[in-house]
Amino acid sequence: MSGYDLVDVEVTHESADDLLDSLSENDTEGDHLQSIQAVRLQAGQPDSELRSLKELDENAVKLLEHQVDAAYRALFEMDGKALLADEVGLGKTIEVGMILKEMHFRETDESVLILTPAQLAKQWQAELREKFGLEFVCNYDDGFEDFDAHDYIIASIDTAKSERHRRTVLDRDWDVLVLDEAHYVKNEATDRYDLIDRLSYNYAFFLTATPIQNELTDLYNVVSLLRPGLFGTRDVFHQYFVNGDQETLVNRDELQDRLNEVMIRNRREDTDIDFTERTIDTRTFDPTPKERELYQAVSDYVKGAYSQDQGQKLVLMLLQKEVVSSPVALKETIEKRLDERSALTHADDLETILDLIDEIETVTKQERLLDIVEEARDTVEMGRVIVFTQFRATQRQILDRLAAEGYTVHAFHGGHSSSEKEQIVEDFEAEGGILVSTDAMSEGRNLQFCNMLVNLDLPWNPMRVEQRIGRIHRIGQKRDVFVFNMALKDTIEEYVLERLYHKIDLFQQSVGELSSILSRLEESGTSFEDHIFERLVNADSDVDLENDFDAMAVDLQEQRELADKLEEFNSGVFEGFDLGASDD
Amino acid sequence: MTDAALAVTQSAVEAVTERYIESLGGAVEKRETRWEVTIPDDADTELPAGSLSVRCGNDLEADAAGASLHPESEFFQRLLGDASERCPTGKLSMATDQAEVAVPQWLHGNDVEVRRARFTPYYDRSAVVVLFTVSVETVSEYQREFLRACAIDRRSENRLPALEAAFLRTTSVTTETTERTSRSSLTESEARSLLDTARDQLLETVQTEIDDVHRKASSAADAELEEYRRLQQQRIRELETERSKLSSKVDELSETINDGDQKSHVEALQERKEVNTETERVTSELRDLRERRDHGFPHKQGEIRDRHALDVRVNPLTITEVEYERGELDVELTHDGVTRTVTVGYGSGIGITDDRRCSSCDRVFSAENPVTTIKNSLRCRRCTSSTG
Repeated sequence: MSGYDLVDVEVTHESADDLLDSLSENDTEGDHLQSIQAVRLQAGQPDSELRSLKELDENAVKLLEHQVDAAYRALFEMDGKALLADEVGLGKTIEVGMILKEMHFRETDESVLILTPAQLAKQWQAELREKFGLEFVCNYDDGFEDFDAHDYIIASIDTAKSERHRRTVLDRDWDVLVLDEAHYVKNEATDRYDLIDRLSYNYAFFLTATPIQNELTDLYNVVSLLRPGLFGTRDVFHQYFVNGDQETLVNRDELQDRLNEVMIRNRREDTDIDFTERTIDTRTFDPTPKERELYQAVSDYVKGAYSQDQGQKLVLMLLQKEVVSSPVALKETIEKRLDERSALTHADDLETILDLIDEIETVTKQERLLDIVEEARDTVEMGRVIVFTQFRATQRQILDRLAAEGYTVHAFHGGHSSSEKEQIVEDFEAEGGILVSTDAMSEGRNLQFCNMLVNLDLPWNPMRVEQRIGRIHRIGQKRDVFVFNMALKDTIEEYVLERLYHKIDLFQQSVGELSSILSRLEESGTSFEDHIFERLVNADSDVDLENDFDAMAVDLQEQRELADKLEEFNSGVFEGFDLGASDD
Repeated sequence: MTDAALAVTQSAVEAVTERYIESLGGAVEKRETRWEVTIPDDADTELPAGSLSVRCGNDLEADAAGASLHPESEFFQRLLGDASERCPTGKLSMATDQAEVAVPQWLHGNDVEVRRARFTPYYDRSAVVVLFTVSVETVSEYQREFLRACAIDRRSENRLPALEAAFLRTTSVTTETTERTSRSSLTESEARSLLDTARDQLLETVQTEIDDVHRKASSAADAELEEYRRLQQQRIRELETERSKLSSKVDELSETINDGDQKSHVEALQERKEVNTETERVTSELRDLRERRDHGFPHKQGEIRDRHALDVRVNPLTITEVEYERGELDVELTHDGVTRTVTVGYGSGIGITDDRRCSSCDRVFSAENPVTTIKNSLRCRRCTSSTG
């Protein structure tokens, strides 16, 4: 492909004086055979196996064969520089977790930098902690100082490339670099590419399900960051591997040979993952007149207050979410704010809202929840149901109500210690009944013994919804899974559910698929929650609001189609490639 | 050429550790995965004298006391460092055990039966086997390092590949070697000469590996140079555009000078002077850049070539004088009621030293073309199959 003798070869013979001296040394002791064996062992590869695997908690993470293989190959066959390009949903994060765990075990990870899209940073942190016992600081943590102040860092790539941090990131020699969604660096003219190109590191693991975004040059760019020169020059790559129409590959065998040195791509069809069916049952209920009045009052208040003081956004968002969860959750927040006498807009309106709360006698969602758990008592094993809510106050009230009705109940929230949490999960498995949990239920919890879940209220963050479902619908679940969504009619929750979540088929997507849909939407820097909130408070009428949500749904659907198309395109390009381990 | 490195398995780690501690005059008391190791105070070693608790392999309790012993443990690495430097030269004998005589491959795989094989050594020969590390490094590739054995006959200075293989077999950790090694009788000057020969031979044998890295490094350098060329070509185009703009500007100003009034005439003259200076600068840069391009950017090319150059380092780590016996091997063959004895040159550790040829077609016997009949003389498969 290119000039073979472009560079010189210089051979240096190290001095043998010491070695030859030992021939004449009379006091040489010991057995020469042992020296030979020692020299031969020093040159040998340590038995290449993932020795840290034995340390993993089987309850926290269930490893699949293709994941273990990928980690092994990346470490031992690719010398610690690999592009992990499994299809979506096969657990690339787990593969990296295993790699990092092994490196930690072998003490080759003094400094590790994980760069991810912003919305995935905290999730990476939680997964590595819970599944692999690896502690990382995230740039969104309060305790985060700078890139030279910690040794194990997870950060959004945009934070790392920002003016403020760039120098510090580049000044350091990192042992390990992990780059999630590596296709973000496909374009060599961007700051992101430039950052990765200049970073100094010994080992690197890049992750993407779609190494090719637009054209085959993307593959060249990503691979060349990992292995400069593997594909030769850009022009040579084009001439040699890419058909004139930019869409097909030629000389595939040679390309495969070269890719095999750096890329691992597992396909769903090659793995033995067998997900069971997921049935979604969304139930919307008419609120009582009093509930409707309360909802309207809160929505009006939020809208009015936000137009006057946008600094209160977080608390206003909270009120808007609580009003559809339970009056008691709303009450707690309002009372707390009034007690704190913090700078609230229209405190008197809040007093009125409190009065409205007190007038509510029937909480519709709680009544309807009883119907669902009653059904469950007859249909699922030991009547096990998990009910998720975002709020502790709602959780307490539901627990009391269910217990009063004679159900066995278990509470799970962030206030428990790790051992308490473990005990709660064990009790739930042994005794059955209903586990009422906040979103503190962590990734690592193994709950596939249960197959029914109720979303009493819905987070405005689709990833969080999928994470909830992922607690039970995960590898190892043997039965079909039932998910009930509860919403009150004509509320924000109904809009989010009906117009957004169902449009993108959220309830059937994996976390990986969602992240590729959302990361495009969130490239602007606005989170999904913010999008929802802004639409809610800025709509002039109900019709406007509906139209706004429809527009957002269209955007999402486009992103989804784009993501699907990309995935399909990459499958097509790599079709016929056997990127498994070589036979020799 | 076989890599001389040994797989660092846990069992090898434990076997080597135990033998080494004992060779230091120490003792190992085993209680399953926990060992109590004692090293005498007067032992000539960098390892700590006295008693030490050692945890083997997967006994990973982080809070347990003592040193851990696994392929990458600090204790084992120290032990290897200590052992490798302790006695890097010595002598090893490849005495022939009649039971281990290697019958030639060309007598296998057919109906001819070997009834007896007897080696008669006539004289002792010696060779040296040198273990070398060869490291190949370049900026764009990982450093590759391998360990190779190179055997050179002491008298003829020919390379003895079969002896290399025998040496590696004999010195593996799993081989039960009863013989101890002794001091070498080589003089320094003789060893130096043999070492030089071994180095030359070694480089020939690792050429394929070096070529592989060389090809990749060249490719990486080429990619870098091409990027540079592209950038410079782009710069040339920019400069050409700039110069063309400046030239138009000069034309415009010249018109103003010719047609304008006194004031604009002076201003235009001044401006034309500045633009001309800028044109000269751009032209000069363009000329320089084109010239460098036409010569293939020699400076940059040199810089890139230097940076990607391969650095091959050859380091001899051990020299072993190997004594072996040479003589003849009598092999008694039987086939179809006929018995015949064949005599071939043989050396302990190096096997058959002569080629034997088919009496009919004169082809050399080999594993692929073995002896198939001994009736009147030795004949190969090809001849017997063609004559039916």
